[in-house]
Amino acid sequence: MPFLDLLIPALNRGMAMSAMLIIPSAIFGAIFGVLVGTLRVFGPRPVRRIFDAYTALFRGVPLMVQLFVFYFGLPAFGIYFEAYGASVTCFILCSAAYQSEYIRGALLSIRDGQLKAGAALGMSKLQTVLWIVVPQAFRRALPGCGNEIIYLIKYSSLAYLISCMEVTGEARAIAAKTFRFTEVFTVLAVYYLFLVSIATWLLKVLEDRLHIPGFGRQK
Amino acid sequence: MFRKTTLLVAAISVVLLFGSVAFAKKAYVNGIDANYPPFAYIDDTGKPAGFDVDSLNWIAGKMGFTIEHKAMEWSTIVQSVVSKKIDMVYSGMSITEERAKQVNFSDPYWKVAQVIVSKKGADLTLDKVFKGGMKLGVQSGTSEADLLQNQAGKEGNNYELKYYDSAPLAIMDILNGRVPAAAMDIAPADDAIAHGKALEIVGEFTEPEFFGVAVRKEDKELLDTINKGLKMLMADPYWAELKEKHFKDGAH
Repeated sequence: MPFLDLLIPALNRGMAMSAMLIIPSAIFGAIFGVLVGTLRVFGPRPVRRIFDAYTALFRGVPLMVQLFVFYFGLPAFGIYFEAYGASVTCFILCSAAYQSEYIRGALLSIRDGQLKAGAALGMSKLQTVLWIVVPQAFRRALPGCGNEIIYLIKYSSLAYLISCMEVTGEARAIAAKTFRFTEVFTVLAVYYLFLVSIATWLLKVLEDRLHIPGFGRQK
Repeated sequence: MFRKTTLLVAAISVVLLFGSVAFAKKAYVNGIDANYPPFAYIDDTGKPAGFDVDSLNWIAGKMGFTIEHKAMEWSTIVQSVVSKKIDMVYSGMSITEERAKQVNFSDPYWKVAQVIVSKKGADLTLDKVFKGGMKLGVQSGTSEADLLQNQAGKEGNNYELKYYDSAPLAIMDILNGRVPAAAMDIAPADDAIAHGKALEIVGEFTEPEFFGVAVRKEDKELLDTINKGLKMLMADPYWAELKEKHFKDGAH
């Protein structure tokens, strides 16, 4: 089994790198997504415009192009990202842009009356948004946000293009070396399925933990 | 008597009909790899194409023989020459001792060197690159990546490999200053230099390979013809034209 002896350690090594890419990107992507999404709904007009533009840019440009610009393009302006730093930065920015859209949708689904009710109780608009509207919207947006995280797991594979050897990069190298593309990529698929299964489970746990009786569907 | 005359007429007719071709021009069959661009491949229209195919067509024209290119299974192509299914292999074939036991090779017409590339004026030497604790770029999954992986840490070697998806991306990172040097085939390195990139070749490492034309051991005449043809081709302006045509970015 020299082939598996070659393949499995390489994929495990790549998997560790993938996890290091995915975990911070998912967490900060979601946090910034909530922030950006909230500002795009309740922020003052110029702030809304700025973040609308940001979302349009990062949802509109292919992630691969973003990575190339961050890694190969920015050195022309004296900005040097390491491959890992460039990947995580791009993933966070891209993920946050998508997350903000899920959050925005959820925020818009919360009725206006709640803001008025907050005001009637003597809460400022900021307080109402922060403590009443966003917590509900986040729960509503969670399935969508989870979807984005699962998608992130798969687009993290693009990091190998800028020399960050994560699991897909390692797999490609072994496949090119041994010409056993089918076997290598089948094993790779299992690795991704494993990652996505863990993420799905964690998201389910989170959803359950955040469940409030009387809000959302009853269990 | 009648029969003899008929036979004679028939024989003369045959000679007149087909003989002119047969006597004036020799016909040879060249075996090619169907997927080895830019040296030999089958193009979009299903015809053989490539640097080696064009080269041989030119040689055939000059030396006065006709040539047919036939895509063959590569792993058994040397046996196909020996068993006379084809007459030669002119298709980016590396000259190896193993093959030279079964077939004769023409003079080498192409050198495939493995080189170390750095920024122009970086003043590096192979010794500094391999023993100086530098980062060294390489395309992942290639034979040079394999070799450098195995050699890392041995014989005083001290470098850290950084893997790229392709040689041009490694070149890009040299120009950006992230890696001081990268290992690759000479073709992409020459290509980048030809495009005006500020690079230089530090030196070659490991043994280079040479491409030659394989013919049957007993076909001394054909070998001679090919060698003469290669010499003429390489002295002709068409040689540079062919290189230009096939080794430019995205030519195939």
